[in-house]
Amino acid sequence: MTARNKNDKKPKSKSRRKFLVRGGLGTLGVFALGTYILRNPLRRKVLGIAETLIAPYSGSGTKPNLWFEITIDNKILLHSPKVEMGQGTFTGLAQIVADEMNVDIEMIEVTTAATSTGIVDSIGTGGSLSIASMYTPLRELAATMGEMLSIEAAKQFGIAKNKLQINNGTYFYGGKELTYAQIASQVTEWEIPDTPTLKSSKNFKYIGKPVKRIDQIAKIKGDPIYGMDTTMPDMAYATIIRPEHVGAKLRSADTSDAEKMAGVVKIIKREDWIGVVAESYVEAIMARKKVKVEWDIPKIWTEQGIREMLKVGNGDKMITQKKGSALEDDDDKVVTIEFSSPLGAHAQIEPNGAVAYVNEGKATVKLSTQVIGITQKQVAEALNIDLDNVNIIGTYLGGGFGRRLNTSHAVETAIISREVGRPIKYFFTRQEEFQNDTFRPPTHHIMKGKLNDEGILEALEHHYASGDVAINSVLLPAPLHGVLGTDIGAMRGANIMYKGLPSHRSVQWHTTLPFATSWWRSLGLLANTFAIESFVDEMAIKSGSNPIDFRLAILGDKDSGPRIKTVLKEAARIAKYTDKSDGNRGMGIAVSTDTGSPCAHVVEVAIINNRISVEKVTCVLDCGLAVNPDQVRAQCEGSIIMGLSASLHEKMTLKNGKLSPTIYGAYDMALIKDAPKEINVHLVQGVDEPLPVGEPPMGPIGAAIGNAVRRITGKRLTDLPMRLS
Amino acid sequence: MKKTIVSVISLLILVLGFAFAESRKDWSGDNHNAAHSNIEQSQDPFDKMMLVLTHQRCVNCHPAGSKPIKGDDSHTTRALGIPRGADGHGLKSIDCSTCHSEENNDFSGVPGAPEWALAPESMIWEGKTRVEIATQMMDPKRNGGRSPEEIMKHLTEHELVLWAWDPGVDSEGIPREKPPVPKDEYIAAVKEWIDNGAIIPNE
Amino acid sequence: MKTSFTINGEVKSIDVDGKTPLLWAIRDDLDLKGTKFGCGKAACGACTIHVDGKQVRSCSFPVKYAEGKNITTIEGLSKGGQLHAVQQAWAEMVVPQCGYCQPGFIMATAALLNQIPKPTDQDIDDNILNVCRCGTYYRMRKAIHRAAEIYASK
Repeated sequence: MTARNKNDKKPKSKSRRKFLVRGGLGTLGVFALGTYILRNPLRRKVLGIAETLIAPYSGSGTKPNLWFEITIDNKILLHSPKVEMGQGTFTGLAQIVADEMNVDIEMIEVTTAATSTGIVDSIGTGGSLSIASMYTPLRELAATMGEMLSIEAAKQFGIAKNKLQINNGTYFYGGKELTYAQIASQVTEWEIPDTPTLKSSKNFKYIGKPVKRIDQIAKIKGDPIYGMDTTMPDMAYATIIRPEHVGAKLRSADTSDAEKMAGVVKIIKREDWIGVVAESYVEAIMARKKVKVEWDIPKIWTEQGIREMLKVGNGDKMITQKKGSALEDDDDKVVTIEFSSPLGAHAQIEPNGAVAYVNEGKATVKLSTQVIGITQKQVAEALNIDLDNVNIIGTYLGGGFGRRLNTSHAVETAIISREVGRPIKYFFTRQEEFQNDTFRPPTHHIMKGKLNDEGILEALEHHYASGDVAINSVLLPAPLHGVLGTDIGAMRGANIMYKGLPSHRSVQWHTTLPFATSWWRSLGLLANTFAIESFVDEMAIKSGSNPIDFRLAILGDKDSGPRIKTVLKEAARIAKYTDKSDGNRGMGIAVSTDTGSPCAHVVEVAIINNRISVEKVTCVLDCGLAVNPDQVRAQCEGSIIMGLSASLHEKMTLKNGKLSPTIYGAYDMALIKDAPKEINVHLVQGVDEPLPVGEPPMGPIGAAIGNAVRRITGKRLTDLPMRLS
Repeated sequence: MKKTIVSVISLLILVLGFAFAESRKDWSGDNHNAAHSNIEQSQDPFDKMMLVLTHQRCVNCHPAGSKPIKGDDSHTTRALGIPRGADGHGLKSIDCSTCHSEENNDFSGVPGAPEWALAPESMIWEGKTRVEIATQMMDPKRNGGRSPEEIMKHLTEHELVLWAWDPGVDSEGIPREKPPVPKDEYIAAVKEWIDNGAIIPNE
Repeated sequence: MKTSFTINGEVKSIDVDGKTPLLWAIRDDLDLKGTKFGCGKAACGACTIHVDGKQVRSCSFPVKYAEGKNITTIEGLSKGGQLHAVQQAWAEMVVPQCGYCQPGFIMATAALLNQIPKPTDQDIDDNILNVCRCGTYYRMRKAIHRAAEIYASK
């Protein structure tokens, strides 16, 4: 049934793709129309993403994969290679498809592509790149789909294509009409046109408009759309016992009492965990309490021990940026300030988990994950079966934030299912979640700077120590770690953006900690910007100039310099930034640029009962073309609040060798009472294409708050979470 | 469960040794525990009673601030914790019963007992000496107008008070510490002290 | 142990251990998945439901205390296909991001409006103690005020 591409003699790099037609196939009377790509048209994007390390969409080209289905009720179902974890990607993709196919957005539905039904991103969803990376390819695909349908419509009407009239997924001619679904159902061999000319931006009906989220009614009504909500027939429930002490190993386990508990199906002992399976979740938890475990605890890790490891000067050194000469330690004009940030938890509200069934050499796993493709590989390897025999079905995610860039618990669930011979649902307890997170690593920073005789900064150095972010991640093949040497995740935001400085450098000290640290929304950006922008602010105060002019003088006109200047000036102008404080209330400003999207915040802080209260945030972001400005704003608001929470409240620590705390509340996070009552987001469009959105606004928030506190109290806070006493 | 915890804890002590002992010290930052060492062998009914009343199981519900204090370390959390409100049962929409039911919940680690509530502000015990607590407890102006008999009833029969000897497990499944005097001995001591005129020593 | 209660207007009877958290009876026995499991420790509020009109964190509420009670979950909040005022306000303000915590917040807000029809910012700060990781609080506050308006106009 594969269509031959009539134009395939001389493949064109841009549109060289084959289309697969499954007319009348699919499930439940669905007519499926699919495409598969021989050559990834997104390669050209790859160069632009070196900073983030999470490549854009990169579907495999070996199998017929499905992009669109036209359903029998004439809806267009997009199988998204990117997952929806709250960032609004499904809505943005629907807008793109609706515009290029000239249909109402209500005609578009979006679902997460499973490994068996569509193209999944073989690397993952992250790096704020979903819309940015999919924008052009999806427009091309949708436009091509529209053109294919028009060609077939013309054939079926027996007229020339230019005589067709079309309205919202239905073609009209001579009093007759044909819907997309009717057309698709008649086609067995599709003609593949060259990629049509894409719509001019002035004709966009949806792109660039604040369309309401297409998933919000389901979310407001509590529909069962998440991994936690999935089930399989005859499913049993598993809970897993893992060590609570960092580095502990299972010595022995007596499961005899637990096995006698009501509802227990099986208890599975592995090298480093014990799975307790029962007919219900509650029974599994009850039985788990009866398992007597002894652990070997080789070392009691302490907070101080970790802090010692993570100091500038310890670990692997890598100069990640260098211009001009290094500052001399004995130069008494050099100002030095140290900063730090703590271990941070993802604390996404939906716990990690999976529902898996392994039977006759085939595995099906449903779960919330940012890495469907990688999870497929992990499960196939662990079960020693072919990749084609593993189907990973992604769901909506109850939060991602980088935590679900490693969902190896799919493997554990599959192993338990194989052992038990039934479908298994497994999910983390909250304590397990907090103690087995892939944390944001703690950091330590030494900032050095020197003013020239005119009070202008002439040299700036950022020396920073971090645990793993990118290094040791499943997202990166191990050889890449060696080649790169640097942890590029820890490096996010670490390099000096003030390219106008005669001298600047950034030096990384990397150490792998005894527990997993990895991707956390915006990676190193929050802590690095906190250090750099707090320090720059302090230098501005020392030079006696206002913090905007001080920065403008050193930003330079190369690279993103002009765009950074724009957001900085706009934020100051809109917020009416002032250095003045009445001793209780004041403003702080900070700026950063991340993955090509510069962002500046001005915050208004009030000191209430010796607590830092963020009253108002003015955010200016240049993310290029905002496909959905309302959802871009939502991402800015979310980033600001999550960044505020990390900057003022959150901290994981080690207590008696265990990661602690293990419960919300004790892990202090911002609540509604802590959120600014006013967040004004202003978007400027410095380029015509969409750029990343979900992480860049996290960058300046910590520093902006600290800078405001400095203006109010005279005190420079150097450690996250910031506290006045 | 208990056996598991015992084995984990004994192992912890083996491995941690000094470190564990150190961390226990952190819990004794309040003045109550300091008093314990001097009087824990005492057979005096007042001493026995006050060992209980100054224990965190009692003090946590008589906090100095507006919010409950929690756990064996009497901690507060900034973010959560419902203020005592007008009647000690919390606020209008969110109150004690939003999370606490009439019994301990071993799944969530949320403690519970009938009439779960905070003592009113007139009955704050946190940060006070045992003499101050006893004086205040017997003062009708500050004890809700209770007679000595009614105080005895509260101290020896109220399910919320006796919950201290059945405090359940915390959010990590670890049993909460019970007061340092067995329930029967405590009840006998309270009765003896009140029957003998509820005399409060000078110190 | 058999327990009977009214849930979303229907009388249901379930046979589970009386100490079972109501959350699991609702999710797994009654297959109403809108009430979410977040922490199981009554600390995040994702499992918030109404018991006799008051907000309760169902992960910490033993089934046996539900006997004879009137329970509402997110599925029962909208009546006759019409979204509840709080849900309408949520849709107007486009509050949800990942959405996982939203049913809990919506239930907590509906309970708040039952007690305080026109809440002040302080009422919101005091009574809404659920946790949202996406940081939708800014829009939530606006939606709570908007819901109060819709409520008042009905």
